[in-house]
Amino acid sequence: MSSFQRWAFGLTVPAALLTICLYVVPILQVLALSFTEPTFGFGNYVEMFGSAAIGRVVRTTIIVSAVTTVLTIVMSYAVAFALVHMRPTARRVALFMVMVPFWVSVLVRAFAWITILRRNGVLNSALVGSGAITEPLELVYNQFGVIVGMVHYMMPFAILLLYANLSEIDPRIIQAARSLGARPVAIFARVWLPLSMPGLAIAGLFIVIFSLGFLVTPAILGAGRVLMVAEYISVQISSTLRWGVATALSTTLLLVVGVLIAVAVRSPALRAAFEGGRR
Amino acid sequence: MSSNRFGQDAVLIALEKFKSGQIDRRSFLTAMAGLGLAVAMRPGAASAEANEIVVCNWGGAALDAFQKAYGEPFTKKSGTPVVIDGAGPETGAIRAMVDSKNVTWDATDGGMTDALVLGKGGYVEPIDYTMVDKSLVGEGLAAEFGICNYTYSNVLAYDSKKLSSAPASWADFFDVEKFPGKRTMCKWIQGQLEAVLLADGVKPEDIYPLDVDRAFKKLEPLLPNLIFWDSGAQSQQLFRDGEVVMGNIWHTRANLLRKENPQFTWTWNNNLMFASAWSVPKGNPAGKKVFDFINSSMEPEGQITLLRIMGNGPSNPKALALMTEEDKAVYSLAPENAKTGLKISAQYYADNEAALQNKFLDFISR
Repeated sequence: MSSFQRWAFGLTVPAALLTICLYVVPILQVLALSFTEPTFGFGNYVEMFGSAAIGRVVRTTIIVSAVTTVLTIVMSYAVAFALVHMRPTARRVALFMVMVPFWVSVLVRAFAWITILRRNGVLNSALVGSGAITEPLELVYNQFGVIVGMVHYMMPFAILLLYANLSEIDPRIIQAARSLGARPVAIFARVWLPLSMPGLAIAGLFIVIFSLGFLVTPAILGAGRVLMVAEYISVQISSTLRWGVATALSTTLLLVVGVLIAVAVRSPALRAAFEGGRR
Repeated sequence: MSSNRFGQDAVLIALEKFKSGQIDRRSFLTAMAGLGLAVAMRPGAASAEANEIVVCNWGGAALDAFQKAYGEPFTKKSGTPVVIDGAGPETGAIRAMVDSKNVTWDATDGGMTDALVLGKGGYVEPIDYTMVDKSLVGEGLAAEFGICNYTYSNVLAYDSKKLSSAPASWADFFDVEKFPGKRTMCKWIQGQLEAVLLADGVKPEDIYPLDVDRAFKKLEPLLPNLIFWDSGAQSQQLFRDGEVVMGNIWHTRANLLRKENPQFTWTWNNNLMFASAWSVPKGNPAGKKVFDFINSSMEPEGQITLLRIMGNGPSNPKALALMTEEDKAVYSLAPENAKTGLKISAQYYADNEAALQNKFLDFISR
C-alpha cells in the first residue's frame, strides 16, 4: 500500500467502526435472540416453518413483491426509454419530475394515495361523475392499493437506475442496426433490450429487496387486510412480545436477501452492471 | 396493550388541543425517549431523589394534563414534587428497568392487563391497600398490582346522515342489510370480538372466555365491509372522509368527531369499558411514598380535570357529583352510559392476548 492508500484507508476507519458498533453488532444480537428467546434452541425456527399463519404472511409478501417488481420495471423502463430520447431541456424537466417524490415522505405518500383511491376519493368521484361506473371501485385497503403505493414508491429508483444504463448505450449501435434494415420492433427486441439487461437486473434486484421489507405502505394502504412480513415482525416485537419468532423471521429475511444478492451477483448481467463503469 | 395505545392516543388528542411549542425539561425527557436514548441517559435517574415522585406516562400534552390533574394537587397537599416522565411505560421498558435494578419510575400509566402481566412476572409491587383507599374507586377497579386511574370505552360511532335510522347495538353494527356501508373496527384485538359476540347473541355475562371460533364465523362474511384502524387519529379520519358509516372506536375520538361535525355521533349502548391503571415498578425510588400519591390521584377534582382535558373518565364514582351535564355525556361510567356497558376482562387478556392478537391479524388478512 502506498502512503496515499493507507491515508485513504484510514479515512474509512471511523465510518467502519460506527457501522460495526451500531449496525453489525445489533444485527448479531438479533440473530442471537432468535436462538435464545424464550429458551435455547431452534424452537423459533420450528415454530416459524410450521405456522400456517406465517406461511400466509410470507405468501402475501412474495406475491405483492413480485407484482410490484414486474410493474415497476415495465413502467420505469418506458419512462427511462423516453428520457433517453428527449431533448436536453425536456429531459431536465422530466428528470426533475421523477425526483419530486423523493422529497415527500413515505407516510405522506401513502395518505395521498388513500385520498386518491378511497371510495369517495378523487379517482372514484371522477369515474362515477363521468358516468363510467355506477358503483365506486374498491381501490384501496386491499392488495391493489398496497401495490399501487409500492410501485409509486419504487419507480423513481428504478427509473434512475435504468436511465443510467440506457444512456450509456452507444447510439451508433442503433444507427448500425437501422442501416442494416432492422425494423423498430427488431431494434428494440434485439438491440435495446439485450443491452439494457444489466440495468434491468440491478433495478429488479433493488426493487425485490426493498419490497420484501416494506412496512409503512402496506400497513396504511392495506389497513389490516394485507399483512406483510415487516409488519408481522413489528407486531411481534412491540405488541405480542414474541421476540423469538420475530427475530427468527428477521434473520430468515436477512438470509433470503443475502442469498438473492449472492446469486444475482453471479449473473453476467449484474456483473456487467457492477463493472459497467470501468470499460 | 390496547390501553397503552389508548394512552398514546389520548396524548395526541390533548396535543391537538393545546399546541404549545416551548421546550422545557419535561419535553426534553420525551424527546430523549423518542430518540431511544431513554435507557442510556434517563435524566430521571440523576434526579430521582427520595423526595419526589416520578410518574411515567405517554408524553406529549399528557405531561401537562397529568401534572394538573394528579401532580399539582398532591404537591400542594404533601409538599412533594411530582415529575412526569413521558417516556412511555411499555411493559418491556419496565421489565428491562427492574431486571437491571435501575428503576427510575414510581408510578406508571399502563392498562389493567399490563398490571396483571407485570404482576405475574414479579416486575411490579402489589398496591399497598393500607395506604391506598380501595373504596375511592368503583367496583372492580382496584386489583392486586394495579389500581384504576382512568377509564375509557370503545363505542359504536356512526354517521347519522348516511344511515336511515340510528343503530342501537352491535347487532345493528354487523347488519349490512339494514345498514349498508363500510364499517371500521380496530386491528388491535381488545374490545373487537366482544362486539362480534354480543351481536351474535351471546349474553354479556357469558362473553368470557371468548368463543373465538364463533366470533370468526360471524365476522368472516362481513370482512369485505370492514376497514381496520390502527391509530385513533385514523379512526377519526375514516369518518371525516366518508369512508365508513359506522365504527367501533374510542369514545374520546367519537367525541372529537361530534364536536367537529354533529352528523357524527355515538351510542353508549353496549359500550366496551376499559380500565387504565397505575402500577409501581419493583424497587421504585420513592418507596412507599408513591402510595400516598396514588391515593391522592383518586381525588375526584383532579380526575375531572383530566376528563375535561383529555376525555379520560374518572375511576372515582364520587367525581360524578361534581360533573356538569357536558362532562357526563362523555363519561363512560355515568349511570346512563354504563347501563348496558360490558367490562373488558383484563385477566382474560393477560392470559390470552398475544396468541389471540396473532390469530386475529391472520384472520382479517386472509
